[in-house]
Amino acid sequence: MHQYRMYWAFTRKAFLRSAVYRFDVWSRLGSNLIFLLMWGSIWTALYAGREEAGGVSFEAMLTYIVVSQFLSGINGAGTPLWEIQEKVRTGDIAIELMRPFNVPLRYLFADFGSVAFYIITALLPLYIVLFIFMDLTVPASWLTWVYFIAAAFNGFLIRYCIEMAFGLLSFFLVETGGIEDIFYFAMSLLSGSVIPLWFFPDWLEKIAVYLPFQGIYYIPNAIFIGEIFGGEILFSIGIQLFWVIACFFLLRFVWNRASHKVIVQGG
Amino acid sequence: MPIIEVENLRKDFMIAKRETGMMGALRSLVKREYTKKEAVKDISFSIEKGEIIGYIGPNGAGKSTTIKMLTGILVPSDGKVLVNGIVPYENRQKNAKNIGVVFGQRTQLWWDLPTIESFELLKEIYQVSNERYKKNMDTFTEVLGLNEFLNTPVRQLSLGQRMRADIAASLLHDPPILFLDEPTIGLDVVAKEKMRTFIKEINQDRQITVILTTHDMEDIEKLCERMVLIDHGTKMYDGEIALVKERFGKTRTLIVDLEESKQRPPLTGGEIFKEEGSRFWIKFNRDEVSASDLIAQITKTHNIKDLTVEEPEIESIISKIYQEGFQDLPDTVKV
Repeated sequence: MHQYRMYWAFTRKAFLRSAVYRFDVWSRLGSNLIFLLMWGSIWTALYAGREEAGGVSFEAMLTYIVVSQFLSGINGAGTPLWEIQEKVRTGDIAIELMRPFNVPLRYLFADFGSVAFYIITALLPLYIVLFIFMDLTVPASWLTWVYFIAAAFNGFLIRYCIEMAFGLLSFFLVETGGIEDIFYFAMSLLSGSVIPLWFFPDWLEKIAVYLPFQGIYYIPNAIFIGEIFGGEILFSIGIQLFWVIACFFLLRFVWNRASHKVIVQGG
Repeated sequence: MPIIEVENLRKDFMIAKRETGMMGALRSLVKREYTKKEAVKDISFSIEKGEIIGYIGPNGAGKSTTIKMLTGILVPSDGKVLVNGIVPYENRQKNAKNIGVVFGQRTQLWWDLPTIESFELLKEIYQVSNERYKKNMDTFTEVLGLNEFLNTPVRQLSLGQRMRADIAASLLHDPPILFLDEPTIGLDVVAKEKMRTFIKEINQDRQITVILTTHDMEDIEKLCERMVLIDHGTKMYDGEIALVKERFGKTRTLIVDLEESKQRPPLTGGEIFKEEGSRFWIKFNRDEVSASDLIAQITKTHNIKDLTVEEPEIESIISKIYQEGFQDLPDTVKV
């Protein structure tokens, strides 16, 4: 119990810390909106006036993009990859080994705080307005909303574990550019964040389905617009939970190796 | 029973050999060669509760490697470490609650938040009770004058303020042991003095054991009775500071600026080893002649515009010990 009080303290402080960087919040929201406009126009052009493509209506596709940008706002508000790499490089993260807490867990809870701040002050107001003024698909049943929120949260956890694990690889590498490239490639393409998986060529779809990245954007998104429905919803969330656990163990493995390296080789 | 016990401690680092040239670079992709560096070779000491010891040595002597092993963020290659009955690297989080650490070069406070927020966070991290927290904060606020900047973000604090905040932060959870790594680095004379007074006070009032690493000889002289001196990963001396000073720290340098330097001032007991215009550097042995005696000699013939007396720095004492050997020093480890 005491432990959780401590981690929540990180959440509270990160929330306050975000308030210090108001400009950061606005600029992030600005770029989020620009990407939304860009992908919105690209998909409008691709549909070229058609009502439907690949069995998905234009309205649903547009909704997919809007929800995707919303999720990307959430996932981008935590500690970014470069910051983790920076903390490894400066040794800040090694110093945290001296504290009586679990380091990856402490960063997760801090991220909860900064993400909550960003959602409340920026994302929700903007996206509520968008949903009011645009013709978008909205889940009819409240249960779908619950599933969507659960799936989005799972996606957040998967993304966190992967990003943190990738960031911690800096402990073992001198050059981290390649790691970043792989991470951002997987994040933008394989996750289905800008192109839904049903538009992928068969071979790529097969690959994407067997990777954790689809759990971050594609699954919550597809639940939202009704592409995944009925019994498939729980199945998809089950797959996500599998990846949450798998990625958690991946992160734990990388972290154990990294801290082992620090305490044995001195970083 | 000693609060800190270190026995035959050793730490080797494996350093990847960098090969030169194109072929070397290609070769190292496949097969890396490592060289072993012995950062700490064979160090033993024990510290009793309530002591302040100066842990000193030149850069790269193995000081911070030892400290890291005591804090549990480095595993020894060999030997025994016990801190308050705990093996630090086996039980890092438990050990963390027994120690406070201050790095002069690196703050442990949260950069963007008002100082008070860092304290509140540390209260939760170390699970400090409300009464204990309030009591400690009251004391530190009074003694360290924290209230003038509690609501200022850490990044806006002056170095002196930051150090005061950092040392208060390290003591919030009442650790029986405090590690101070260059706690006065970069501070002005007044701030240094305040810091030293505070360290002395918490050591006396709370019986906190302090391990101090520093390059500032004055820190050592004002705070510690005992010092452990290491170089190249081995212990060179462990005992009273007075003894070292007695033996190696007798040479002083008197620097005088004379009004007109028609000729060198005649001196007995001192030796001019450098001159620049009207400034003279005079080396003397404290036991043979006093500074005031030398000054009196000079003023007979010259007018002195300005003067300073320099004590030997810890580095030069160390190198002297290195040259002259230290076997003839009695090893006075205190009980």
